[in-house]
Amino acid sequence: MTDVDPKWEVRMLELIAEVSVLKVSQIRPEHRLREDLGMDSVCSLELISMLAEEFDLDITVEEAAGVATVDGAIAMARRHFALARS
Amino acid sequence: MSVLVLGAGGFLGLNTVDALLALGVKPLCGRRARGNVLGLRQRKVPLVEADLNRPQSLVEAMRGCRTVVHLAGHYPRLSTDPAGSTALACRQTQAVLDAAAGAGVARLIYVSSTATVAARSDRPSDEGDRFDQAPGFGAYHDLKWQMEQRVAAEQRLQTVTLCPAACVGPFDWKAGTSGIFWQLKEGRCPPQPDGLVSWVDVRDVGLAIAALVTRELQPPRLLLSAQSLGFQALLKRLAARWGAGPLPPPIADEEARQTADAEEQRAARDGGRPSMSRELVDLVIHGARLDGHLAERLLGFTYRPLGEALDAFDAWADPLTAAVPTRSRGASV
Repeated sequence: MTDVDPKWEVRMLELIAEVSVLKVSQIRPEHRLREDLGMDSVCSLELISMLAEEFDLDITVEEAAGVATVDGAIAMARRHFALARS
Repeated sequence: MSVLVLGAGGFLGLNTVDALLALGVKPLCGRRARGNVLGLRQRKVPLVEADLNRPQSLVEAMRGCRTVVHLAGHYPRLSTDPAGSTALACRQTQAVLDAAAGAGVARLIYVSSTATVAARSDRPSDEGDRFDQAPGFGAYHDLKWQMEQRVAAEQRLQTVTLCPAACVGPFDWKAGTSGIFWQLKEGRCPPQPDGLVSWVDVRDVGLAIAALVTRELQPPRLLLSAQSLGFQALLKRLAARWGAGPLPPPIADEEARQTADAEEQRAARDGGRPSMSRELVDLVIHGARLDGHLAERLLGFTYRPLGEALDAFDAWADPLTAAVPTRSRGASV
């Protein structure tokens, strides 16, 4: 994740913390959205939707449904940033 | 033509938005501050905050709209707090009505439920068959009746109430009707009660709403139901389709109620979703045979058959199964 803007990543973790049971400082990349962060399927989709709006990313619902971890969410956002830049 | 859709990002909402777009109408789409709007962003439709718990946001969202489609009526996740759920549902319904009247909206298309339709012994129930009072079967039925009562009493604007049967089709992200479909697709067949259920392709619900928006028809109440059939017969057909089964024998009504109540108490205590929900049990046990033909005649469409509705559901759901293997764990209708 070295090519990710640090501020962008921090904001992303803040959004994840808003809808999870942990604080920003407690969130780890390997955390699973449901089992570790206490989200259900609806909540995890809301999270990805918040990320899409915050960073203006064209994420499909189908793609969002496949995100299972914090790292997965970050990787997905990074892919979309790269697409937007290309 | 200016139309605001409340609940546009949900199961019925996305299908309604698609039907409106197909008719060349780009609706204004209401959304909560926090909610899944990915589907709406994909469709490039305008979004506006319209929070049922913030009446002023409703007034502002409705200003300039001739028609409001209200698909965001309260749907309690559990039936464990009937008084609280009913109070919230009535407060939100009244907020929508007051905001519509205050913003100068001409008509409200309100989507209710077949839970408000009274069963008849002499013929299938139609638009005129509505419970005279809250039926007392359970929290879901009573709450839906109270909400519909508020809309029916509205005098400041025209209202149309739609009562769709259990909706089948794509975009059921909250695993509402399709909760039991996911169970069967995973080969799980928990015992269920028997009774009558009615279903409709969710795309036909969208089509009906779009027709009402564009054609200015004013039926006070319309049932949307393609077919009523025995619940166990439907389960057998679904189990055969998805290779689940054999199905366990049906359980008695009282056992089903007790099982659902215990499951909901567990879900309220521990989180997650009940494996059997009380509202499904009540809908099955007290299900009415419905006559949904008036909508076909009035709006000029023919209900799609069950096979087509299930094909559309599978086309949406199957790509998700591999990506989200735990999606339906414990989910119920």
